This record gives sequence, C-alpha cells and structure tokens, in this order.
Amino acid sequence: MIDQFVLVYADALGSFFTPEALFGVLIDGLAKASLYVMIASGLTLVFGLMGVLNFAHGSLTMFGAYLGGLVLVMTAGGSPTDPAALGGFFLGVVVVFGALGLLGGLLEWGLIRPIYDRPPLYQILLTFGLALILDEIARIVVMFYGIQPISSWQAALATKPAILGRTYDLGPTSVPGLDLFQIGFGLLTIGFIWAFLTQTRYGLYVRAGSQDAEMARALGIDVRRVFTVIFALGTGLAGVAGMLLAWDQSWGASVPLAAETLLPAFVVVIIGGLGTVRGTVVASVLVGMVDAMTTWWFNEAITFTGLPEMFLFLILVIVLAIKPQGFYGISEVGGH
Amino acid sequence: MSLLTVEDVHTYYGKSHILEGVSLAVDRGEVVALVGRNGVGKTTTLRTIIQLSPPRSGRVTFDGRDLTGLDTHAVAQAGIGWIPEDRRIFDQLTVEENLRVALPPSTTIADGLSVAYETFPDLQEHQNRNGGDLSGGQQQMLAVARGLIGDNELLLIDEPSEGLAPLIVKRVSKALARAAKESTVLLVEQNLGLALDLADRFYVLDTGQIVDSGTTAGLSADSERFRRYVLA
Repeated sequence: MIDQFVLVYADALGSFFTPEALFGVLIDGLAKASLYVMIASGLTLVFGLMGVLNFAHGSLTMFGAYLGGLVLVMTAGGSPTDPAALGGFFLGVVVVFGALGLLGGLLEWGLIRPIYDRPPLYQILLTFGLALILDEIARIVVMFYGIQPISSWQAALATKPAILGRTYDLGPTSVPGLDLFQIGFGLLTIGFIWAFLTQTRYGLYVRAGSQDAEMARALGIDVRRVFTVIFALGTGLAGVAGMLLAWDQSWGASVPLAAETLLPAFVVVIIGGLGTVRGTVVASVLVGMVDAMTTWWFNEAITFTGLPEMFLFLILVIVLAIKPQGFYGISEVGGH
Repeated sequence: MSLLTVEDVHTYYGKSHILEGVSLAVDRGEVVALVGRNGVGKTTTLRTIIQLSPPRSGRVTFDGRDLTGLDTHAVAQAGIGWIPEDRRIFDQLTVEENLRVALPPSTTIADGLSVAYETFPDLQEHQNRNGGDLSGGQQQMLAVARGLIGDNELLLIDEPSEGLAPLIVKRVSKALARAAKESTVLLVEQNLGLALDLADRFYVLDTGQIVDSGTTAGLSADSERFRRYVLA
C-alpha cells in the first residue's frame, strides 16, 4: 500500500517538475490571483479606508454576477458571437459598476453612516443582516424567473464567447482563453485602483481622510462624502468581480456565490494585512499560486478535490501564527 | 465688525465643562494671542471655533456668518485654517502630498508648493519622504506650511513652538511673522515672549473663562499682568 503511494507520488513529482506543468500552474495561479484580487479589493478598500468590515461584500458580488449575467443574456443570449459577447461584457461592467456603486452609496449613507460612532460590533451585525436580506432577495427574484438559485446560471455561462472558451498555445503549454482574460482584467483593476488612489486629487483626499479624518476635515475635505464614494467604489468593484465570475465554470452566478466569495476574500484580506491594497495583491498572488499548485496535485496525483480549499485556510493559519497582522498590516485602520 | 466673534461659548467634553462662557473677538488683519496655563481650555477654544468640539451653547461667527453647528470642513472652506499643537501630519503621505491636500482647488499645485518651499526650503529637500519619517522640527515646519498655503483669511495656530529646538523656533517664528502680515491670526502660545512679539492684542484664559485682555504694546513676558494666570 505504502509502496504504491510512494510510486504514485514519485510519478506525480516527475510530472509536476516539467515545463508544461509548471507553466500551466503558473498561469492558473495568476488567473486565480486575479479573481481573488477582484473579489477582495473592494473589501480591503472599505475596511482599510473606513474601518468597516462589510459582511455583505459577498452578497454584492453575487448581485453583480446576476446583474452582469442579465446584461450578457440580453445582449449576447442565444448563439453569442464573440463581438456581441465581449461588447455585452464591457457594457455589463459599466452597468454593474454603476448600479452596485449606487446601491453601495445608498447603503453607506442610509445605514452605515449613522452607526460610525458605535462599536465595530454594530457594523458587523448590520452588514451580516444585510447579507442575509440580499441573499434572500436574490433567491426570491431568481426563483420567480424560474432560475435554479443554488447552481450556476447556465444561460449566463453560455454567453461566454468562443474566443475565451478555446485554449491558446503559449510557451510550453496550452492556456485557457478565460484564464488570460481574467489575468488581464485583474491587472486592469489593480491599475485602476492604484491610479485612483495615487494620481487623483480625490484619491489623495481618501488617503488623508483614512489616516486622520479630523485633520482632513479641518483642511476642508468633506470626509463623509469621501467615505460614501469609497463604499460605492468598493461595492462597485465587488459587483464587477461577480460579473467576471459569471463566465467561470467553477464559480458562475448563483446565490451561494455570496458565501463562496466572502470566505476567500476575507482570507486574502487577512493574509495581506487588513486594509492594505498592496497586501491584498501580494496575498492574492500567494493564495492563487498555492491554490493552483494544490489543485494540480490533488487532481493529478492524489484524487481528493476538496483539499485545495483546505490549503487556503491552512495558509491563513500559518500566516497568522507567524505574523498576526498579515504581510503589510497596520495597527489601526479607518479614519472616521 | 470683527472678522471672528466668539460669544458666551460653553463647551463640554462629556460631563466636563471646559469653556464656561468664553467671549472674544479678532479684527481683520490682527494677531491676537490667547494665553494661559496648561489645561485651561486654550486648545478647546480653537477646536470650538472650527467646530471639532461644537459648543453646547453660545455662538461663533466668522465674517458675519454663523458657524455654530456647521461641519468642520465647511468652516475650513469658509476660510479658517488650523495648525494644531500636535502637528497632525499625515504620516503615510509624502511631504508634497501633505501640502497638496491642503491646497484649495482654485490654487495651482506649483504655486502652492512654491510658497511652502520658499518659506521652508528644508521641506523641498524632503518632498518625497513620508511625513512620519520627518523629525519633530521638520514636521512642525510642514504643519505651519500646510496652514500657510491654504488661502485662509484666519489662521488658528496652536502652540507652534512647543517642544522645538531654539533654532527651529526661530525659523517657525519668522514664518508666523510673515503669515501675520498676510492674514488674521489667533495664536495660542505658551512662550509668552514669542506671543507678545507677534500679537497686537491678548486674552488670558483661566479655567474656561477669559480673565484679562488688552493690547500687547509695552508689555513684556514677565509683566505683572501675566504673573497670576500665566506664569504661576
């Protein structure tokens, strides 16, 4: 028995250290990292700059997946052509970002702003309750339209353009088109956040307000409005992340997507250090790579498909044991 | 009409009654010093004016406009700048970013920065360093520069010389003298000599009440008038 295990393991080890496998794992890891960045960046912005731990973040991602899926089905449903599907995707990104951003802004203004001065437990309970309500609304609406809420929305998945469905020869291996698209979109998102925070006057106000809200107000900055904008940006990004997942076979638009994305988002944000965008990017790459590696091992060598997810939490435990504040954690976040 | 008027202001921190009916006025172009021992409410008076610690009763008017109850950012936008005693530099922003954040949208970045760097050339040398990495003296220069470039009609300056080496105090004083020529100033300062050098008039605050006021002409730091409430 043990001999057989050693043989299988040695054989897999040989297969893993080939250029094809290593390159494949690298691309898969980067694609997963991009998804994690997309999912977690809104959460980290809202926590890092406002000190609000938004437990409804996953539900907003799920809303984005359904709303984006709806735009895709309406623009490219039936037999999608590549231009129609890609056009529908980018139109969906604008619609989802706008709609979820507006929803986020209203939530911050109407529900979260009045409890800034209360202990963090109030925000946790409020956003957790909000998540339950959003999930239930989504369940009722999709069931009303005859869509199965607990499995991926097939009509949205079917709008994936052929250009992303095929594989491309890249280096020593073939790479799925969707992986490349996700990597590109993740890089674009990081660039967008970086440019907003460091290259715009409003980004400067955001960074100042998150460090010392009182001083920022004394310099004439309307910190409350800044926080509303940040919350809107965070929820908009959550929605766009959901839209990106609507085409991914292993995720897809479904009500459980809310919890499925919230957990890895928290893992990434905690490993990176609560509230730092740089930490979130680094943690996403680490988690994405480990996820890709363990997925390869537990698919190719030892068939046990549930284990890669366990490794995600194992990384969390190890990082917290060695560096409790995460990679780039700061002792205090949020400026209100 | 005075540029700033504080009328019978009562401010509390929780149940503690800090300002017990403070009234004062600052005319346009004046430098007024607010002096008194530690803990008598000088900083609270400045915080009350900019509505960071809003009064429970009384009124603050600026250029005829009632500021009471406004949000602090609106008070700042009305033309009141604040240089706090603990500097309050944004540690994780660079020197240049700390200055840019204080610039009103109507001022070009180049113009605003040139005023700051002309006043304190040291800051230009460190423009790309984070505020948190500067020495205490450099941070104070940055705090003063940030107040100066804000295009404010009234500057509230809180203990600008506190904890600084004599050489830095000299440079900060020079910048404050320049600010005094260009705008109206309400100055809180423990260093009586510096306060009297800069100010046209003074108020003495003791346990939340104004107990004396007058012009600074002919007064020295060891004057009998300051002996009881300031020097004791």
